[in-house]
Amino acid sequence: MAEQALSAPVAAGKTQAASRWSATFVPRLITGLVILLTWEIVVRLTAPAYVAKPTGIVLAVPQVLTDHAFLQALGATLLAVSEGLAITIVAGTALGLWMGRSATVDRVIRVYVNGFNALPMIIVLPLFSLWFGYSPGARIATIIFAAIFAITMNVADGARSVPREYLEVAKSFRARGRSTLFEIVLPAAMPYLLAGFRLAAGRALIGAVVAEFFLSIGGLGYYILYNSRSYHHNEAFVGVLLLAAFGVGFEVLVQWTTKRFMPWYRRDEKAS
Amino acid sequence: MYATIRRHAPLWLSIAGGVALWEIAGRATSRAFMVPFSETLVRLWQLTVSGEFLPQLLDSAVLFFSGFILAVIVGAPLGLLFARVRVLRIGIEPYLMILYATPMVALIPFILSLMGFGFGPKVLIVFLFTVFPVLYNTVEGARSIKPELIEVAKSYRSSEWALWREVMLPYTLPYTMTGVRQAIGRALVGMIAAEFFLSATGLGQLIMGASQDFDTAGVFASIFVIGLIGVGLTRVGFVIEQRFARWRQ
Repeated sequence: MAEQALSAPVAAGKTQAASRWSATFVPRLITGLVILLTWEIVVRLTAPAYVAKPTGIVLAVPQVLTDHAFLQALGATLLAVSEGLAITIVAGTALGLWMGRSATVDRVIRVYVNGFNALPMIIVLPLFSLWFGYSPGARIATIIFAAIFAITMNVADGARSVPREYLEVAKSFRARGRSTLFEIVLPAAMPYLLAGFRLAAGRALIGAVVAEFFLSIGGLGYYILYNSRSYHHNEAFVGVLLLAAFGVGFEVLVQWTTKRFMPWYRRDEKAS
Repeated sequence: MYATIRRHAPLWLSIAGGVALWEIAGRATSRAFMVPFSETLVRLWQLTVSGEFLPQLLDSAVLFFSGFILAVIVGAPLGLLFARVRVLRIGIEPYLMILYATPMVALIPFILSLMGFGFGPKVLIVFLFTVFPVLYNTVEGARSIKPELIEVAKSYRSSEWALWREVMLPYTLPYTMTGVRQAIGRALVGMIAAEFFLSATGLGQLIMGASQDFDTAGVFASIFVIGLIGVGLTRVGFVIEQRFARWRQ
């Protein structure tokens, strides 16, 4: 009896989930197929043979993924992006916390953070090429410059929005400044940090690719540029797909982390 | 009066401090590395007087607005259409998300090799940078429409036109405007990228030319101007978004 009572709703839930799944999955599958088919047909009918098309890209995948030059390029870009993002997160968070906790600091540097954030980041490339030369250092600098202000602005917003009561409690328990910062302000600003990271990761990817285009440094961006110049569009497009996968991957990672570790926080309330 | 001064003084002090810092740093370091603020302004004035600057600015502006306006004209109605036809929306959503998250710069080499250096491909680049934030946010807005609203409208035998005017537009437009705000920044990046990597024109050419001549003052002058434009356009974006945000309850 008890078993029946338990199993019935589960079964109902399952069919409901299944129907919801088919209601979203089928249109998505069809849309995807339509997009790919249109692409394939248009390219086959109108474009020269070297232009990327779905079948060509799929056929190029195994060859590209085993290509030593490609793996090296991928590694170089990923390393640069992770290094840049690591520096960005630490420095950007520190700057953001400082801004959020001190009204004076905020007043002094806010105008610059906003200003640099509004600057189209790739504009600094000619300057960075003068400063750092045509080197991987210039790429890291571009990544950091592209990403840091998104994190700083978000963390500053987060640090400012810490409920006053938390800080009062901390104060009345004579918490030290450092523990207040790391145990109250930083965790409270965490969802903002994640939202900032989401923006920053996308910008870091763009920064890396653009720097490689501009400075001709080995990496995924340069691989795409080189192959598309030598009419290997299918191979080059595998690189684009990988970049898209990273972009989506960061997005999914942030959504999952927010849901998993900060379920009380609704992302859409304060997205950007 | 006193209150206004009190409110704005920190900002002006901070700007004055920054300019002073820039001036000192520029004077203390090598000229190849950095030039002081005063010299940047002088160079900007020279560029303006010699007629190099304004035509380039105009050139960039034409590119920016062509791509941007095209993106809004295409993105917003398309987003509304996706919003209205539910199956279409569900079907297209993941692909929009992917395109939204893809670094569009990676497509520039393909556009270059397929379409060449002309004005058209450049507009396409700005368009690609711009259209997905508009589309994505419009569709996102459509998700916020309560199904009951459409049901009520339907049960009162609302015409399709009235449904769009009274329900769809007011509910999605604020989101579209958020997309427009995000798109402004992206369109600027797209504009500069198009000018860097296709044929060099406009502000992109100005800065690249200065960099190749080791004219650091010219580089700083161009960055300074583009920075001001960026800040100005971002402000405009926020004003637009705020105007429509009142609708969002």
